[in-house]
This record gives sequence, C-alpha cells and structure tokens, in this order.
Amino acid sequence: MVEKRKIKVVISKVGLDGHDRGAKVVSSLLKEAGMEVVYLGMYQMPEDIIRSAIDEDADVIGVSYLSGEHLVFTPKIVNEMKKHGLDDVLFIAGGVIPPEDIPSMKEMGVNKIFVAGSLTDPLVEYIRSNVRGK
Amino acid sequence: MPFLGESIEETVQKILAGDRRTSGRLITRLEDGDDWGKEIMKRLFPRTGRSMTLGLTGAGGSGKSSLLNHLIERFRKMGKTVGVIAVDPSSPFSGGAFLGDRIRIQHHTRDDKVYIRSMASRGYLGGLARATTEALRVMEAMGFDVVMVETLGAGQDEIDVIRLVQTCLLVITPGMGDEIQALKAGIMEIGDIFVLNKSDLDGSIQVLRSIEATLSLKPGQEGEWKPKVISTVATSGEGIDDLMEGIMAHQDYLHNNDAMERAAFQRVEQELGLIFRDELERVIFKGLKGTGKKRRYIRSIIDGKSDPYTVIEEILETFLKER
Amino acid sequence: MCSVDELEELEKGTEVDWDSYLKAYYEKPRSAKTWSGFDVREIYTPKERVGKDYDETIGDAGKYPFTRGIHGNMFRGRYWTRREVIGIGSPADTHERVKVLADHGGSGLNTIADITYEMGLDADHPWAMNEVGLTGVNISHIRDMATLTEGIPLDKVSWSLITASTVASVTMAQYIAVAQNRGYDIRGLRGSVQNDPIHFRYCGFRPACPLDLSIRLGCDVMEYCTRNMPKWYYTTVNLYDLREQGITAPQEVAFGFGIAMIYVDELIRRGLSIDEFGPRFTFYVSCHTDLFEEVAKIRAARRLWARLMKEKYGAKDPRSMQFRFAVHTAGCSLVPQQPLNNIVRISYEALAAVLSGVQSLHCCSYDEPMCLPTEKGHLQALRTQQILAYETGVCNVADPLGGSYFVEELTDRIEEEVLKIMKQVEEVGGMKEAIRTEWLDREFEKEALKRQKEIDQGERLVVGVNIFSTEPETETPLGVQRIPSESARTQIEETKELKRTRDKCRLKDRMKQLREDAEEGRNVLPAMIEATKTFATTGELMGTVRMAMGYSYDPMEIIECSF
Repeated sequence: MVEKRKIKVVISKVGLDGHDRGAKVVSSLLKEAGMEVVYLGMYQMPEDIIRSAIDEDADVIGVSYLSGEHLVFTPKIVNEMKKHGLDDVLFIAGGVIPPEDIPSMKEMGVNKIFVAGSLTDPLVEYIRSNVRGK
Repeated sequence: MPFLGESIEETVQKILAGDRRTSGRLITRLEDGDDWGKEIMKRLFPRTGRSMTLGLTGAGGSGKSSLLNHLIERFRKMGKTVGVIAVDPSSPFSGGAFLGDRIRIQHHTRDDKVYIRSMASRGYLGGLARATTEALRVMEAMGFDVVMVETLGAGQDEIDVIRLVQTCLLVITPGMGDEIQALKAGIMEIGDIFVLNKSDLDGSIQVLRSIEATLSLKPGQEGEWKPKVISTVATSGEGIDDLMEGIMAHQDYLHNNDAMERAAFQRVEQELGLIFRDELERVIFKGLKGTGKKRRYIRSIIDGKSDPYTVIEEILETFLKER
Repeated sequence: MCSVDELEELEKGTEVDWDSYLKAYYEKPRSAKTWSGFDVREIYTPKERVGKDYDETIGDAGKYPFTRGIHGNMFRGRYWTRREVIGIGSPADTHERVKVLADHGGSGLNTIADITYEMGLDADHPWAMNEVGLTGVNISHIRDMATLTEGIPLDKVSWSLITASTVASVTMAQYIAVAQNRGYDIRGLRGSVQNDPIHFRYCGFRPACPLDLSIRLGCDVMEYCTRNMPKWYYTTVNLYDLREQGITAPQEVAFGFGIAMIYVDELIRRGLSIDEFGPRFTFYVSCHTDLFEEVAKIRAARRLWARLMKEKYGAKDPRSMQFRFAVHTAGCSLVPQQPLNNIVRISYEALAAVLSGVQSLHCCSYDEPMCLPTEKGHLQALRTQQILAYETGVCNVADPLGGSYFVEELTDRIEEEVLKIMKQVEEVGGMKEAIRTEWLDREFEKEALKRQKEIDQGERLVVGVNIFSTEPETETPLGVQRIPSESARTQIEETKELKRTRDKCRLKDRMKQLREDAEEGRNVLPAMIEATKTFATTGELMGTVRMAMGYSYDPMEIIECSF
C-alpha cells in the first residue's frame, strides 16, 4: 500500500557537552509525531553528524546546544553541509541560545531555532511544512 | 520522477562507485516503494551477491548491538569494508520510530570504510524492514566486503533474516532458558551460530547445556554444518575471538561445499516471494487509491453486507478484467 | 498624561477580551497535585498526627532523627554559606570573578570546572580545544590551580571545588599540592570537593568514568581526606543533577541515597568505621518551585539518612547521622521566555532551601537558560540570598514549617515513597546493578518525557511557556556572557609550553610510582600529589590511572601515553 512518506530526522549533541535530556526528549516526541528518528548521542563532531545524515538520508538535522558551544560548532556544521551539498536538508538548533545570537545563527544557515522551554507542536508543525519533497 | 536530476545510468554508476549520498537516497526510495528505485535495482542486481553477509538476531537487550560493534572492529582490522543495516521497530500507534541501534556503533562513522543505515520496520513482520533485502543488495553493489544485518529484536519469529544472509547468529542470554525450551523443535534452523552473550551472568551454564542438549537431538548428516555455541561477554570483549573463528569456519563450510549455492538459492527464493507479494499488493491497490472504493468495501463488511473474502475476490476479478 | 487622540488610539489598539477577563475572575487551580504528582487534600488537620509520637518521628532540631534540622539553633548559630558557583575561561578569569563576589558579601568560594577538565583532558587535547573554559574553569596543571587560588588564605576560607567526575582525585591532588607548596598544613584546610564520579555518568561521557574506576577514585579521595584532612568535606553526593534529569522529589532522594550507599559500603570495606568518615559526608540537593514539597523532601531525607546511618550502618556518633546538604536551585525550572520571571522562581526555590535548614546555598542566575551566567546575573543571585537572610526574617527560627499538619503529612508520604523506590532498586539487584543494566537511564528518560508532555498538554503550567506567553525575546535583559577566545588560546599554549619545558626525568619517576600504586590497589592520592608537584598534567594523571585499571589512556582514544 502506498503510504505517506516518512520524515527522517537525525538528532545529535555536538562536542563535549553532556546535557542530553532535551535531545532525548525531542527524539521521543518526534517519534510519537510519526517521524523516524536516529539519535546519534553525545560527543559528535560536525563531520560525524553530516556523515550520519548522508548515510541515513535524513530530511532534518537537529542539534542541541546547552553550554555556549553554539557559536563554535554552528559554522562548522553548516560548512560540512555545504561541502556535501545538503542544501535541501533542514538544520534545526535547540537549547540554551541567547536571543542576541539567533539572527546571526540564521544568517550562518540554521533554518530554525527552538530555545529551551519551546513546546512540541510548533516544532512538529515546522518540520512538516518545511521538509523537502524527495 | 528524476533521481537527483540524473539519468538512471549516472545514478547506477555512482552507486557502484560507492557514493554514499546517492546510495542513501536510493534506499529511502526503496523503503517508500518507489518505481524509479526499482529501475535502478534492475541494473544493480547483476553486481550484487558477492559480499559476505551476516545476520544478528535475538531478543531486545541481548546485546546484539554491542556484538555488532566488536564484529565491525574485527572485520576492519582484517582490512574488510563493512556495511551495516540496523532494524528497529516502528510504533504501531504513531508510525514513527526511534532508531537507537546506531548509537552503540556510532563511533565507526568516523571510518569511511563503514556504512551504517538504520531502518524502521514500518509494520513489516519477520524482524526486518520492508526494504531490508533491497538495502542489502545496494550495499553489496556499493562493494562492501561484509554486510551485516541486525534484526529488530522483538521476539522469536524473526526468521526472515536466516534465508537472507549466509551466516546467521542467534544471540541469547542467560535467563532465556524458557524461550529456548519453547524453540526446541525449530532451533536447529534458526542459527548457524548460537551466541550466548553475557555469559558472565548467573545461569549461563544451564542455558549453555540446554542449547547443547537441544542441538544434539538432531544428529545431522555427514558433512553438514553443525551449529556452534559460543559464549561471549560483549561488554568486555570476552569470547569475540572465538566468535570470529566460528563465523569464518561457517564461511569456509559454505565455500567448500555446494552450501553457498544453496544459500544463494534460498535468498533469491525469499526475495522473489517478498517482492512478488509487495508488487501485487501495490499494483492491485493502486487502482483503488483515491477512488473511495476501499472505504466503501470496509463499510460494507462492517455493515454485514459483505465479507473480506468476497471483497478480495471482487477486487481481483475487476483487476484481471481491466488488464 | 496622554492626549485625547492618544487615548482613543490606545483604546482602539487594545481590545480587551471581557469573556476571558471574567473567566480569570472565577478561575481556580487546574490541578491539586504537587510537582511530583502527590494528590493533596483541601485541608490537613491534627487527625493526621494521631498515633505519631513527636520525639520519635519528628523531634527537635539538633536531635535524632534530625527531621527539623541538624543544629538546635539553626541559623541563629550561623547563617548558611552563601556561595555562587563560578567558573569561566581561564583560571585568571575565574579568579577575577571570585574576587568580585567576595567583595560583595559572598561567604564561600565555589568554583566549577569546565567539561574538558571533568573528562580528564588537557587543554591541548584535540577534542578539548573547541571548549576550553566554556562551561567552567580549565585546570590543566598545578600552575592553573596556583593562579586560581592566588593570594587567597587557604587555611581561612572554605573552598568548594565542583569537580564531579573521576577527575576529583586530580583536583584534590592539585589543591593539596598548591597548599603544601605554600606551606599550609593540609589538616587545617576547609572546604569541600564534589567528588561523586558515579553521578557523572548521567551528565558526562561514560568512557571517562567507568563504574569501577569511579568507585575506586571517588573512594580514594574520601579515604585520603578522612585520614589526613579532618576539616574537609570529601564528597557531595549529587542529587541535584539526578533531579535535573526530570525525575520527581522522592526519586531524587532514593536514587541519590542508592549512590551514596555504594560509597559508604566501599569505605567500610576499606576498613574505615562509619563514625570515622560519617561526619564529613555531604549532599547536594535540588530545590524546585513547589515550596512545600521541597521542604518536605529535605525533612524526609534528613530523617531517612539518620535512620539509615544508625540502623543499617550502626553509627553511634550523632554527626554521622546528620544529613548535611547544599542546595542548588533548579536550573531546569528556568525558561528563556520572559526571563526576568526566573528571579521570582529562584527566590521561591531559595526560600524552600532556607526553610529546610540548608547548610550552603547556590542560587541560579536568572539568565542561565539563555547563556552562561553574567557578572550582573551572578550578583543578582547573590542579592537574592542576601535579601532572604537580612530582610525576610525567615532564618530566625529553626524549621518554621515543622508542625504544619500539611508539611508533616507530606514529609511522611515522601518518606514512604522514597522507601518504596529504594525497594524497587533493590529488586533490580541494587544500585550498582541498576546503573550497569541502564535501568536508571530508562527511569530518567521515562520521567523526562512525562514532564515535557505534561507541559505540552497544559497539565503543568509554566508562565510564559504554555500560559501568558508573549512574543519571543530579542535580547537578554542584562547582557550576554561571552568567553574570551583569547583565554582559551592562552590556556592551550601554556599547557603546551609546560609540557615542553618541565624536567621529564623527575616526572617519569613520579608517574611510575603512580602507576604502581594504581595497579597494586594502593590509594593513588599521595602519588598524584607528588606527580602534580613535578608538573604532571590532568590528562596524564588520569591517563596513567586509567591504564593501570585496564582502560585506554585517553577516554576519547585519540592520544597515546607519552611515558
């Protein structure tokens, strides 16, 4: 039977920060919203995340930042995405990110940012309406 | 539907050259049952069937992923390139899936000779995902020396993998004595190698004896493979040497007999069945899509005006007539 | 005053929704549950206390079972220690912030290490370079510790060193080495080290803290301090970080006690008596927004710990039975939406801590869900404590909520629930087994998901998040804390320079000693202290012990041992 195409999401932490509660909770919630979620875990480097996203053919890359590392790693992730031509993959960031940094992160190439305290529905809605067609 | 804006030939060449992005996309297309994917598979098929294929099956929590991790490491040390397919269950309620196997083998991502693909079962029974058989062929076409399949690990009926791969490992743990009792009759058919993982835990000796006793019930033909039982502790790496030896012994057995021929035959036989079933369902139901007919059929069954048998007969008849 | 035009404009612009206004007037609470989900009745009466003897179940403050506090006069004897956790960039950066807070009336120094240090990596490790000093102070060698403590009278101040992981052993070695180099007698040093390596599994890299290594090194520190530093608190078992995973108040206590008992059992196995080390055992607890529940939780914890120590472990010294604790207000209760509201949340949480008879308090900065704490944020948090201490009068009386029918009843119910959970842990084979089989991980994940769903579905209300929400903020009210990248660069360079220039022969001898001690099961602290004095770095000390215990030198498996 032909069914609706599944959305595949790769969720990861990056660098050494160990606060992974949010990333795990978001993974579970997206699963419950009908998506296929690959959780990479902690201690990923930008290259690992992008390699995994390519192998898994992800539609969305989600990265959770909690320790001020967003300005260090975001440009590196975006560069890797560009290098491999992942221009149709959504890059969503979440976690502890000061509002002052949101415009510059968007400029770097993050599609959307959901800071701590965000609710799940808007996230699911955002992914559904912005994900690529394959 | 064009594929990354390329011709079929270009796509095929890229996959044969091991291009990860194109291959990743192709597997997605196959998961979605896409026509274009099939066209590519037709071209790839002759270039498949040359890898060593292994299956890991066994209940959730038996340590399949940890064993897989060791096996990847060993094959890499031997200079072999490795493809991995890890199947996890889809939620029957939401249709979503948490593909968590990858996390235990994720550090191999840094090695570009390892390719890992997670697949959600999407309601498919038998321990595999709908497109696992095809993903295995894709990885073979990409040229991986070894391709391993980890089944989803829900229970005992994960038997599809046995015919799909050359060497099948059934992972069990102490405390699963009851399950083994229940399997008694069919246990010979399930694994080429039985891995008693977590063998440092209490009760392992009893389980070991129980498997060995069960295996000895069937004497086996002269020259036929006699399943091995190997104890491991995946967390510490104990017994992995023995496991590798066992795997290689089974591979030798396959190569030195006509057994490899039989394995290939079984695999294609199973694939034929699966693809046929899938195709048939897809083709026939395609005619119903968007017409509202399916809904009406269901309604008529609920209302007692018809029954599933009559409905299916009717659908088939209409289909055959239209042809 | 507005002009008439402006007034008309205003009236047009603000359409009041009178229906919801009326609804608000008649509004009543949606739920009658505590934060952790206990159902509560409309009112509690003396009936709840029938048959319960005061002395036996509650008792005066300062008396067994210490439900009401560990001191008879509580804050009349001494205020709680007002600490603010500090750790930014290099040791010099952190040293500056320490001095600012000391100038403004902080009463305890409290420094937190960065993640690279917690994992036992030197600043020049390939994985560390991106994040040196980002989340705390980086200490790669003895000179860093010397800079951090420069000019501070170590025999007079009480220093709290927040290093949770297996590296706490290195922290102690570095602190002791600096103190000895400056001529202090370590028997006089006062302060604490967090040293709860087991809990670090739940907020850190597991290969950096295998369970057996965690217990070994954690207990080496505990044993060494017990024998040599009588005024030092050698562990602060961290219930706080467990709670931050999203679990309930009773789970926080039950799981934390489970971990604490692993250490207690090991120290007894090493031949120490409970009354030798018991009096310096301390805890680190969360205070969430549910005021009464948090107070009841801590009262229950005090009673339970006292009974555990006396009945299970046979403690005789009342000090061994006292549950001493620091509070960290709940970071996970704070949200970046309408961030100034966090000051109010923190105040209630701090109030709960003080009403519970806390020994040492850290208030979060209101800006934590947006960035690392700014200096202004830090000062504001300190002011919150000072207002509590000097203006509110809440510290005049020991356990002011004691005797409240409701609080006593809630204390009993939390105690029961804690015991129930501890029994569950026993049923899965004890805490070590619960950790090994990842049973505990699954509990954390289950609870965290539940909390988020409650918020998503509006069953749990958070102002600014799922009720009274407004447009997202565009700036952080008091500015954003940035870590100067210059600090990280200097830190990395200095570490490399030290490795080039130190006397390698002496160092090798000392490291050989450390390796032998570690291999042969002797306490590693003495050898670590000596090796530190010859400029062994954090990563080298940890790596050597790791190898002796059969693990890879580098938890990230990138660099090799250079000895």
